[in-house]
Amino acid sequence: MLSFDTVVERALTGPICTERDFDLGIFVPNLRKIIEKYGIKYDPGNPVPADDDLADRVWEAGLEFLVETGVYCLDTERRILFTRQEIEGALGSAPCNVVYGEGKDARLMPRRFPEDETPPWCSGCGAGPVLTEWNLINVVKTYAEDPLSDGITAPCLTKLDGRDLVAGSPRGVEGAIRTVLLVREALRRAGRPGMPVVNEVASAVRATEHIAGHAFGNPKTDALEIGTVHELKVDFDALNKVAYCQAVGNLTFAENGVILGGYAGGPAGVAVVCAAYHPVDLLVIRGVVQHPLAVPIEGGTTSMREIIWARSMAIQAATRNSSLPIVAPGYTSAGPMTEMCYYEFAAWVMATVVSGGSVEVGPPSRGVMEDYSDPMENIFSNAVAHASAGMSRKEANKIVSRLLENYENKLKDPPPGKKLPEYFDIASGTPNKECIEFYRKMRQEFAEQFGLKLPLTSPYL
Amino acid sequence: MSDESILEQLYNAIINGDKGGLERAVGSALKEGITPSEIIEKGMSPAMKEVGDRFARYEIYLPEMMLAAEAWEGAMQILEPKLLESGGERKKLGRVVIGTVKGDIHSIGKNIVGAMLKMNGFEVFDLGVDVAASAFVSKAEEVSADIIAASALMSTTIPQQKSIIEHLEARGARGKYCVLIGGGSTTQEWADNIGADGYGRTAGDAAILALKAVSQK
Repeated sequence: MLSFDTVVERALTGPICTERDFDLGIFVPNLRKIIEKYGIKYDPGNPVPADDDLADRVWEAGLEFLVETGVYCLDTERRILFTRQEIEGALGSAPCNVVYGEGKDARLMPRRFPEDETPPWCSGCGAGPVLTEWNLINVVKTYAEDPLSDGITAPCLTKLDGRDLVAGSPRGVEGAIRTVLLVREALRRAGRPGMPVVNEVASAVRATEHIAGHAFGNPKTDALEIGTVHELKVDFDALNKVAYCQAVGNLTFAENGVILGGYAGGPAGVAVVCAAYHPVDLLVIRGVVQHPLAVPIEGGTTSMREIIWARSMAIQAATRNSSLPIVAPGYTSAGPMTEMCYYEFAAWVMATVVSGGSVEVGPPSRGVMEDYSDPMENIFSNAVAHASAGMSRKEANKIVSRLLENYENKLKDPPPGKKLPEYFDIASGTPNKECIEFYRKMRQEFAEQFGLKLPLTSPYL
Repeated sequence: MSDESILEQLYNAIINGDKGGLERAVGSALKEGITPSEIIEKGMSPAMKEVGDRFARYEIYLPEMMLAAEAWEGAMQILEPKLLESGGERKKLGRVVIGTVKGDIHSIGKNIVGAMLKMNGFEVFDLGVDVAASAFVSKAEEVSADIIAASALMSTTIPQQKSIIEHLEARGARGKYCVLIGGGSTTQEWADNIGADGYGRTAGDAAILALKAVSQK
């Protein structure tokens, strides 16, 4: 595989191009041409597609699109270009079956294939904003106590001692450090001190914050999440994070959020761009896992029909053709303690797992409402993920289609649900009786309606 | 060529985001004696409205919106001097200074709101991404803006939206501008907390808020 320094050199010396010309003069026409050439068409009737030939065409389209388009460096206003041979070289040396965490809490992140019986990796609890340190500790502890949880995605602390946590300021650095220490304390309380933290810190934006937080974690067995910029762009800050990870031998979650309705256009474009990101995550971000977050332009829900189709397609494309594992993150539109929230999580999680991916279950309420980070829906998602392993895509398509009927007309105006203190005893750090009963009711419904036998592994159930 | 046929060319050029085609169609229209006002009102504006409607229905996406807006702006550079020559002036709804806040480099949401505002007749000054609070205020003062629109994606960059309001207050200029906020991590609750004048979850919301703001001025 090309060295990271070669990639940096290309960022510094590649063809000059304005951002506008990259977006509208190169990216968009290339993508339209490739979609047409490979006949990639969205099929709303099958949100979980089972067409291997189409999956392979999406893969080929993604690679060809990347060769023709390259990656744009925002700081140098230059394109980083790769040849097909270089991309294939990177894919040929892609990591798989990487171990995260330490001691008895170490877990393997497996390579999976569509319809694979191998249990998926499940990490979660994260990325949503939490208001207080107690809340952060409690939601992480409860999630970590579920044996099906393999890793933690730290929630995003928005206040430090009651004051705004501002990215790029010294409070950003302190917030990142404190988040890692709080998560570590929560994991200790859960009896899983060696469990890996796989995003390090959601509150960290700048490289300085990521590196500061990371220094207080377990540098070699946690993962640092490094994101690209929509679409197919990087900046020096992201590359600086990569340089740090290369130096300390750190594991990296390579995150890319493709926007439905943005430059990628519709679902077909989202699928192809997601596929194109796969080698970018190896070559540029040096990831040991691809972390594809596709969302609609209106905000962070991954349960929309178009998103489920596009991401399923892209995951199938990649898992059939590359050993680099995929962990798909996701949010819901509805808030905690609502039926819709459970339906949404179940739909995107099932679609991901049968397509060959693993999951990172994020918060409800689009991940933007403070203290709507609910560990119980995340634990439910773990159970759905494990129950979906080995299921056929056709069977999953039937269930996901029925789930979509339950909620898709409410995605723009979802039920807000309840705030953490309403269903969680903060003092003891445990879900309350109402919360547990609601979980059991939903579990029963999934057994009766869809024949899903969801494991009961959390100590609270 | 009939007036109807030329107006159709104008309409189609905007729908297709064809900047060169639109400029040629504008040239033909002027040659045929169609006034700049008619070109805008009968040919181009209906097309811009249609583009906005198609975007709202998810039939087209950001690139089509941006290309249509670019085509519109190119045509207006030809038409505005002609309007002035004929004693008229293009009616602009208002001026908007837009950008993504300091510390945040996400541009897509901001770009789509900018395109949507242009389509609704606003003059838009786009400051780009990672924009200091003072830069929003200075630009608004420089161009006598009506609206400041600030985008932020991250939970830890949204405090910079509050900073813009504080900078306005420090300059004694808070009352001069309508401050609208949006972006992935923002909510109505946050807008209320920081004293913003409006929160838009979607680009369509932003346009409605902006129209409402200028109508109340």
